[in-house]
Amino acid sequence: MANPLASFTNVHKRFGDFVAVENMNLEIERGEFLAIMGSSGCGKTTTLRMLAGLDAPTSGDIHIGGVRMNDVKPHERDTPMVWQSLALFPFLSARENVEFGMKMRGVDAPTRRRRATEWLDRMEIGEFAERDISTLSGGQRQRVALARSLVMEPEMLLLDEPLSALDANLVIRMQAVLTQLQRELGITFVYVTHSQSEAFAMADRVVIMSQGRIDQIGTPKDIYRAPANRFVAEFVGRNNILSGVVDRHDAGAVQVRTASGVFSVPPVSADAGAELAFAVSADLVTLSVSEPDAPNRVRCTLLSEEFIGSVVTVFCESADGQEFKLQLQERELNQHDLKSGSHVWLSWRTEDAHVLDGS
Amino acid sequence: MTWRLPIILWQLLFFVGPLLFMVAISFYLVKNYRMTEAFEFVNWQKMLSRNYFWDSYWYTLFIASLSALFAMLIAFPAAYALAFRASESTRRFAIFLLIIPFFSSYLVRTFSWYVILAESGVVNAALGYLGLGPFKMLNTHFGTLVGYLTLTLPLAVILQTVSMANIDRTLVEAARNLGCTPFATVWRVVVPLASTGLIVAMLFCFILSFGDFVAPFYLGGSQEPTLPILILDTTKSGQQWPRAAVVAVMMMVTLFAVAFAAIAFAYRKRATR
Amino acid sequence: MNRVRVSNWVFAAYVLAVFSFVFAPILFSLVFSFNSQRFPTIPLGDFSTEWYAKIFADPDVWEAALNSLIVSASAAVLATFLGFCTAYSDYRYNFRFKGLYLALILLPPTIPLIIMALAMLAWLSKLGLSGQLWSIIIAHSVLTAPFAMAVIRLRLNQMDPDLESAAWNLGGSEWQTMRHVILPFCRPAIVSALCLAAAVSFDEFAVAWFVSGLNKTVPVIILEIVQGNIDPQVNAIGTFVFLVSITLIVLAQVFFISRRVKDPR
Repeated sequence: MANPLASFTNVHKRFGDFVAVENMNLEIERGEFLAIMGSSGCGKTTTLRMLAGLDAPTSGDIHIGGVRMNDVKPHERDTPMVWQSLALFPFLSARENVEFGMKMRGVDAPTRRRRATEWLDRMEIGEFAERDISTLSGGQRQRVALARSLVMEPEMLLLDEPLSALDANLVIRMQAVLTQLQRELGITFVYVTHSQSEAFAMADRVVIMSQGRIDQIGTPKDIYRAPANRFVAEFVGRNNILSGVVDRHDAGAVQVRTASGVFSVPPVSADAGAELAFAVSADLVTLSVSEPDAPNRVRCTLLSEEFIGSVVTVFCESADGQEFKLQLQERELNQHDLKSGSHVWLSWRTEDAHVLDGS
Repeated sequence: MTWRLPIILWQLLFFVGPLLFMVAISFYLVKNYRMTEAFEFVNWQKMLSRNYFWDSYWYTLFIASLSALFAMLIAFPAAYALAFRASESTRRFAIFLLIIPFFSSYLVRTFSWYVILAESGVVNAALGYLGLGPFKMLNTHFGTLVGYLTLTLPLAVILQTVSMANIDRTLVEAARNLGCTPFATVWRVVVPLASTGLIVAMLFCFILSFGDFVAPFYLGGSQEPTLPILILDTTKSGQQWPRAAVVAVMMMVTLFAVAFAAIAFAYRKRATR
Repeated sequence: MNRVRVSNWVFAAYVLAVFSFVFAPILFSLVFSFNSQRFPTIPLGDFSTEWYAKIFADPDVWEAALNSLIVSASAAVLATFLGFCTAYSDYRYNFRFKGLYLALILLPPTIPLIIMALAMLAWLSKLGLSGQLWSIIIAHSVLTAPFAMAVIRLRLNQMDPDLESAAWNLGGSEWQTMRHVILPFCRPAIVSALCLAAAVSFDEFAVAWFVSGLNKTVPVIILEIVQGNIDPQVNAIGTFVFLVSITLIVLAQVFFISRRVKDPR
C-alpha cells in the first residue's frame, strides 16, 4: 500500500493494567470498506476511538493523511463517527442534529440549513427534519446519525456497531444503504462490529481481533476459506476444527491422525509426530447415507438440524464425540430420509482441509 | 481542575472555615463582652463541669433518639403500603407530595402546631365535643415530639418507601411461597433487605431532631433546654460565643460518632449477608 | 383474598392519617389566616382578610420580602453554579480524594443549622462580612448547593455517555460542547435546581437570623413575631411563605420530571 489514508504503527493502548490494543500495525486504504471484527473487549472499539482521537495511544504512532495524529484533539480531526448508541442530541430536532457539526465549525446558518436539508433528503427522511429525535423510529434515527456524520463530507467515516440495536430485517436494509453510500461517496468506511454477517456482507477487507491483537487481515473470502489460526477458524463459526498429530507424509498430502480417524490435508512442512490442527468449512462437507469412496470420511450420528432460509445446518457427532457441522440446501437434505439419531457419512476433499497456524 | 478549584476554595472558605473557626473560638476568652484570641480551656472546663450542660446533653440525646424511633415506627406501615401495595404512579405522587412539606417552612408549620395544640386550640376543642380534655400538650415532651415529627416524618416516609420499593419483589414472593406469614416476611425479609436504607433514614431523623431548636423551644417550652437551645441562649443573650462553641463542638462530636456507628452498622450487615 | 382487601383499606387509611399529620399545619395555617379570631380554634370565627391587610400595610414585612427575594434568588444562582460544577466534575472525572471532595459539598445539610449559624456568624464577622445581605447569601449558597448538585447529578446520569464524545467528534471544542450539549441537556435540572435552592433559602431562618444583622428576611420576621405572642399575622405571612415555597418546589419537581425540552432557540 503506497499511500494509505490512515495507519497504525506499533500502537499499544493500555488502561491501567488492562491491555486494550497490543502492537497494532494496520494500514487503511483510501476508499475501502474496512470492517474490524471481534468479540467484546477485543480492542476493536478502542482502535476506532483512537482514530477519532477519543483515546490516545500509549505508545506507537497513528497517521491520518500522512500527518501524525497522536496529539490532535478529537474536535480538530475530521473523523466523524456513527455511535452504537447513535448519540443523537435528544434536545435537538433531526435537522439541528445534522447541522451540529457545521455549527461547531462556524458554517453560516443558511448554508447549514441547505446542506442539512440536502442530506436529510438524500437519506429519505426529509419529511422528519423538524421532528424530535424521540419521535423517530430506530431506522430513521440511524439515518439521522449517518446524515449528521456525512454532511461534513469527511474522507473517512467511523462506525461503531451502528446496527446492533436494530431488528434483523432493518439490519439487512441498512446494510444495503451503507454499502451503496460508501460506493457512491467513494470515502473510507471503518466499521466495527461483532457480527460476522455484517462484516462479511459489506466489507472489502476484514480485520479480526482478539485480546488486543490482530489475528488476520484479509478479504471476507480469505478469512472464510483460509483462517489464519484456530481462533479465527472458531470465530468465523462455520468451520469444523480437527486436531491431531502428523502421521506420515504422502505424495501431495499429509496424513493426520485424530481421534475421529486419519485424514489427509494439503502438504505442510511438519515432522511426523508434530501436533497439527485443520479446519474444514461446513459448506464443503458432503453428506451421504452409504459409505462414500473418499479419502476423508467419518461416520456420524445426526444430532439436529437448523434451518435458515433454504440453507440447513446439520449437526452431527462422530463415535469419539467430535462434533461436526455441515451446510447444505434443504432439497439436498430432503433426498435422504433422516432424523435425529440416523447414521450418516461425512466426507470432504483433501484440498478443502485448511491447516491452521500455531496449532 | 478548572471545575474543582473554585468549588474547593469556596467550600473551604465558607464551610470548613467557619466550622474550624468555631472549634478555635471554643478556646477563646471573653473579656469585657469582647472575644479575645487565646488558647485556654476555661470555656470547656466551665461548660463540662456544669450539671445543666450534662442534663441538657442526655435529654437531647434521649429525646432525639425517641423522635427518630417514633418517626421510623410511624412511617413504616405507610412506607410499606406505598412500596408494596400502591401502584408505581401512586407511589411517585405520594413522594411528590411529601417532598413539598419537607422543603417548606418548618418554622411556620411549628407555629401552626402551636395554635392547633394550645389549651383552647383545635384539638382540645374537638376533644371537648367528645367530653374529653382539655389536655396540656404544649410545653411538654409530647409537644416537642410533634414538632420533631413535623420535621422528620415526611423524610422518613420518603426514604423508607424508596428503600423498600427497591427490594426485588420475587424475594418477598419467594418468602411467602415458602410459608412465611405476612408479619414474618416483613420482619425477616423486607426489613433486612431494606436495612441499609432504613438505618440511613433513622440517622437522618436523629440528626434533624438533635439539631433542631424550634420544636423544643416553641412546643416544648424549653423547660428542659436541649443543646441547640443552650447554644441559642448563650449566643443571643449572653454574647458568650466561646461557650456556645463548646456546646456546638460537643454536638458535632456526638453527631459524628452516631453517624459513623450507624453507617458502619448499616454496611457491616450488608457485607456479611 | 377478602383479607387482602381489608388490609388494603387499613393501609390506605393509615397512609391518609400520616399525610393528614404532615399537611395539617399547612392547611390550618391557610384556614386560620382568613379567620377573624385572635386566637383561632373551632368553631371558626368569621371570614376575614384583616391579617393580610395588616401585613400588607407593614413596611417591615415588605422590606423583609424584598430581602428574601434578593437572598433566595442570589443564593439559588450561586448554589446552582456550585452544584453544576461539582456534579459535572463528579460525572466527568476520576481523581484522588474524590470522596473527600464530594463530602466537602454534600455535607452542609447534615450539620445542624444552629451550629452552622453560630459558625457562620463567628467566621463572617471575623472576615468583616457579617450583618449584610451578602453574608446570608454566602451562607445559603453553601447550605443549598448540595440540593442543586444532587438534582443536576441525577440528570447527568441520564445522559448517554457518548453524547459528549459525539460533540467533540463533530468538531465541538470543550467549551462549545459545554454550551451546546451539556448545558442544554441539563437545562431542566438546572431550572429545577434553581427552584429547589431558592425554596430552601427562602425558608431558612436559623442562619439568616444569626448573620443577618438588621437585614431581616421573611422567616426572621416570623421568628421575631412568634417570639412575642400568638399573632394571627403569622398565619397570613406563613400562608404567603408556603405559597412561594410550594410553587418553587412543585416547579422544581415538574421540571425535573419533564426530561425532554426543546432547544432554546
